[in-house]
Amino acid sequence: MTIISILVPHIIRSIPLSTRRFPLLSHFAKSRLTKFQFLAILPVCYHSPYTSFKSMADGEGEMHMQHSPTVEKLEMQFEELRSQLEDSGKLRERIRAVAMEIESTTWLMHSSLLLIHHSISISDVIEKAKQQIGGLRELYNKLAEIIRECPDQYYRYHGDWRTETQTVVSLLSFIHWLETGTLLLHTEAEAKLGLNPTEFGLDVEDYLIGICFMSNELPRYVVNQVTAGDYECPRKVLKFLKDLHAAFRMLNLRNDFLRKKFDGMKYDLRRVEEVFYDVKIRGLATNGESAGKEGDQGQS
Amino acid sequence: MKLFNSSSFVKLSIMASKPQQLRPLAGTSRAKRERTITSNSSVSESAESNPMKDAFAKYANYLNDLNDKRERVVKASRDVTMNSKKVIFQVHRIGKQNKDEVLEKAEKDLAVVRDQYVSRLAKELQGTDFWRLRQAYSPGVQEYIEAVTLFNFCKAGTLLDLDGVNAALRPLSNPSMEPLQINIIDYVLGLADLTGELMRLAIGRISDGEVDFAKKICTFVREIYRELTLLAPVMYDSSDMKTKMDTMLQSLMKIEKACFSVHVRGSEYIPPLGSADARFPLLGEDDIER
Repeated sequence: MTIISILVPHIIRSIPLSTRRFPLLSHFAKSRLTKFQFLAILPVCYHSPYTSFKSMADGEGEMHMQHSPTVEKLEMQFEELRSQLEDSGKLRERIRAVAMEIESTTWLMHSSLLLIHHSISISDVIEKAKQQIGGLRELYNKLAEIIRECPDQYYRYHGDWRTETQTVVSLLSFIHWLETGTLLLHTEAEAKLGLNPTEFGLDVEDYLIGICFMSNELPRYVVNQVTAGDYECPRKVLKFLKDLHAAFRMLNLRNDFLRKKFDGMKYDLRRVEEVFYDVKIRGLATNGESAGKEGDQGQS
Repeated sequence: MKLFNSSSFVKLSIMASKPQQLRPLAGTSRAKRERTITSNSSVSESAESNPMKDAFAKYANYLNDLNDKRERVVKASRDVTMNSKKVIFQVHRIGKQNKDEVLEKAEKDLAVVRDQYVSRLAKELQGTDFWRLRQAYSPGVQEYIEAVTLFNFCKAGTLLDLDGVNAALRPLSNPSMEPLQINIIDYVLGLADLTGELMRLAIGRISDGEVDFAKKICTFVREIYRELTLLAPVMYDSSDMKTKMDTMLQSLMKIEKACFSVHVRGSEYIPPLGSADARFPLLGEDDIER
């Protein structure tokens, strides 16, 4: 900028006064200067027609004097904003690091849980998957510690651990269901992860989405269990899933992701119903009577 | 449900022959499973449905409350937007003669927006809700930022910083509540929108002959744009910052182009007609003085 600004007076001096103004500017506009360089020249050119060349050079200094206080003040104001945003960026990076560890733990947990489709003894599979829970508790404790630094900003960074947490809930609730046949409740999930609801709780929507993910796992489980010869499984899963679906219908949902997941749950229900139907119509289920009752309900 | 079953029956009946073959093989593991799982479910079957229903009743209440609150915040935010827009239009009515008068009215309008509409947000956004419902109130708050900073620029010629905005909000909430403090993200996004309004203001001022004012706006916007190029990469919370930067550059270039043509035309045009030229009276005087 400075080189051009210094050069401009010399260029102007070499041009006859009458053609000095407009052609020069259009020349600059056509030349390869960037718009920023070009605009840097403007103040100088602006003064040129009415001032002597000497005062024009002064005029350039004047422009600086005139503009610097605003520019400097703005620079200071934005400096403050930048440092605040950078701090929050650093915090976010720390959160992301923990969230990624949570994610890889869930992968391990998921892969060990997938063994249930191999019809290996369920209790062994569950034990192996549960070994990861301790690690998860530690990681969530770390997250809670980071959030403790900025109280009330849980939801500012919520997006950074959201999906991971939903997966965690789906895995925990699946394990819980395999063990007990019941639904892992929100408070139970919090307790399992060692969360303190007043400080760093489990968001209810995340919990519900996680439960929907768990429901997605059930049809495949039922199919493989039946193949492995467990003909009671469909009835049990169907009952559970119907109850769960009925419970979800109590909620007034918005048009959001949870709604979408809930809408998908009916397809899980349908697939389990189909398997149940196939097993029942062939009389494979031993407990014929109760299965028949369930079946009637299923058709209604 | 009958529909589903009949349509898929053909497909599934082919698969269904397999379990029959497997049945004798899997007999032992089935017996074992029956003991472990069905015994559990038979215990829980009677007691199970109630805790689940109870828990879901709680979740339903929670979601209802949250959605109601979100809805209230969205409504309040819309009111803030609407009334902030009115303030912005009022500021645009500024002219050479009526500056004080226009700004005085704008200040009054701004106070109304603050006391009547922004204050409604303060009540709803206590604790963690402040960040949770950000999406719901963000548009209104950004518009409010736009209005206050535009007003402040016209009055004082400076940028009103976040502390300044928040200081004005502090008296709104009663002592028992946390005061509503605008967050940095919405402030910066509001500044990005401000440049669009300043562009309109600059063009208006140029056609009214207030070239110096327009040039001041130009420098100001140029500097905001420059500073925001540094801030945009560290704004992780907002994806729309990038598009705002593009729009901002468009606005800035419009101001610069307008300033440019007034320079060029002004310098060529005025001397032959003299300072009596009616179209750019200020420009003429100004240039001759210098």
